[in-house]
Amino acid sequence: MSNATLQRARPEGRAPAPEQEKPRRRRTTWWLLLAPILAFDVVLFLSPLGKLVGSSFTGNAYQRVLEDPLVVRSLINTLSISLASTVVTVVLGYVIALVLWRSGTVTRVILFAVVLLPFWTGILVKNFAWAVLLQDNGIVNSFLQTVGLTDAPIELLHNRLAVIIGMVHCLLPYAVFPIFSSLTSIDDRLALAARSLGAKEASIFRRIILPLSTPGISAAGLLVFIISTGFFITPVVMGGPGDMMIANQIDYYARQLTDFSGAAALAVILTVLVSILVAIYQRVLKAGGQHADN
Amino acid sequence: MTTSVISAAASTRTTASAQGSIELRQVRKTYGDVVAVDELDLVVEPGEFVTLLGPSGSGKTTTMMMVAGFEEHTSGSVLIDGKPVDSLPPRDRNLGVVFQNYALFPHMSARENVEFALRMRKVPKAERRQRADSALERVGLGTMGDRKPRQLSGGQQQRVALARALVFNPAALLLDEPMAALDKRLREHMQEEIKTLQKSLGISVLFVTHDQDEAMAMSDRIVVMKDGRIVQSGPPEEVYNHPLTDWVASFLGDTNLIPCTVLERKDGEALVDLGGLGLGRVRDRGVAGENYAVSIRPEHLKFSSEASADNCGKAALVSSTNLGATVRHRLTAGGHELQVRELSSDATNRPAPGAELFVTWEPDKAQLLVLEQ
Repeated sequence: MSNATLQRARPEGRAPAPEQEKPRRRRTTWWLLLAPILAFDVVLFLSPLGKLVGSSFTGNAYQRVLEDPLVVRSLINTLSISLASTVVTVVLGYVIALVLWRSGTVTRVILFAVVLLPFWTGILVKNFAWAVLLQDNGIVNSFLQTVGLTDAPIELLHNRLAVIIGMVHCLLPYAVFPIFSSLTSIDDRLALAARSLGAKEASIFRRIILPLSTPGISAAGLLVFIISTGFFITPVVMGGPGDMMIANQIDYYARQLTDFSGAAALAVILTVLVSILVAIYQRVLKAGGQHADN
Repeated sequence: MTTSVISAAASTRTTASAQGSIELRQVRKTYGDVVAVDELDLVVEPGEFVTLLGPSGSGKTTTMMMVAGFEEHTSGSVLIDGKPVDSLPPRDRNLGVVFQNYALFPHMSARENVEFALRMRKVPKAERRQRADSALERVGLGTMGDRKPRQLSGGQQQRVALARALVFNPAALLLDEPMAALDKRLREHMQEEIKTLQKSLGISVLFVTHDQDEAMAMSDRIVVMKDGRIVQSGPPEEVYNHPLTDWVASFLGDTNLIPCTVLERKDGEALVDLGGLGLGRVRDRGVAGENYAVSIRPEHLKFSSEASADNCGKAALVSSTNLGATVRHRLTAGGHELQVRELSSDATNRPAPGAELFVTWEPDKAQLLVLEQ
């Protein structure tokens, strides 16, 4: 609509005013405003990153780490654990966001607090809390035994499920907020209109709410996946020896083997791998969007 | 897009027009202690175009929302086609609703928007498409079916909203300030189009607006609302020319309100004492009350070169403003401020500000009112 108005307005002789004096002044200001953050970035981010990339190319680091079967295993772990955590987090996050969106002011404030509390709690605290809950004589196991579902404690800790549980708990806020904000941007009257046109609640969700909240879902998926590839503490605290992720290998190379160029190579491999996956993800999303257009 | 296209396409519609009445009986809506709508009685006859007109907070939108079923009324009853619908959800009321911002589904094409109601009614795909296309054609958007709402102009979006509300042959159409987002010229054009469409379909319309010009232009009947109550209801000309209260008179257009005392009533006229303006004869509606005022529309006050016995006041011209088609004169007369409006083409050789002249009016154009404010 605004496009049409613009196009209509232009022929009437309101061409954008020729800018002469202003841009020069604006350009100087622009640089000045950027200077502090640029300096900060160059000194504290770009130069160390350059050094890291540079050192990864010394002493056959890539060949060395890729020949390490544990590294390959960790890479596969990283991708599969991250993928599983992302799917679970986005699904759970969507449900929470829906409830938040639908609830009244008081419930909403309480729910927000519940979602934000883990966000503000240290990751170590959260993971150890889960470890306490899931250990052999923890609440979950004693409950299962009291109810009579099992006779002996079930191994709930130090396996992949535990890692995913711990990660999902940390990642939830990153999914809830993008989805919630895309839900709140949906005009309430769309649901009213759908209702007047004969739609039941299920159809309104499937045909109106879900499609219109996909931007939030895809943003949440991307954000959660990228964050989850860097998890380091959770696999240590809650996982078994077979659940180590790439960040744990980087730590191992840097601190146990003091092979810094190997650690650097691993960091670069992870970054490149995630970048490729993100690119594919966005390509798929775009294609999906175009398909929906037709 | 001409209106004739609409009416030609619309005449192919098969549904009979002898249905679609809306009735509200003693409907009341309260939010806590606040009464939004109070004991409202209203009937929209089949094929009638009824406008709820009132300022914001008058309860007009709440009333419409209760008819649509989006708001539950506290007491009373809503009937559609003579059947109570109080317990029916909106989807079962069979009413087409057009919202203020159109509420088109942004991720669907114009056609998919129109098809939505048919999809919900499990109409087979081929028929669905055919009906949606003919509804779009009816509103002059036959070639725009594949466009998304954001690729359409405001007027086109409104047509899609109309097609979407009409495609399932609803019992009646509810329009909630549908022209508020359009510019003045487009708004006037759409008023005519909607009116033509409504007439040719013979569909009943409940229209909500705060714009008195829009209400005047489109309605068979205007229902003026204030503070959750109906103040006056009747054909546009009647409400405009013969308002019941001073509030209605000033809400619907400009008017001159002159306090008065009634001296005598006979033959449908009343003789009133207008204070500084002398005696006057006005149309007597037999209103009862202590405080009276006479309302004369600015266009019904005429200049006169000589004095007459009554219906005539001596006035001093304060200012004249040319508004294009009309000229607005401000005068003072007997301690009252008066406004006279005349066509620019008639306003030749008018005296300069400060000059003294006479104003006069026909008894039938002056309305005796109860003072409400």
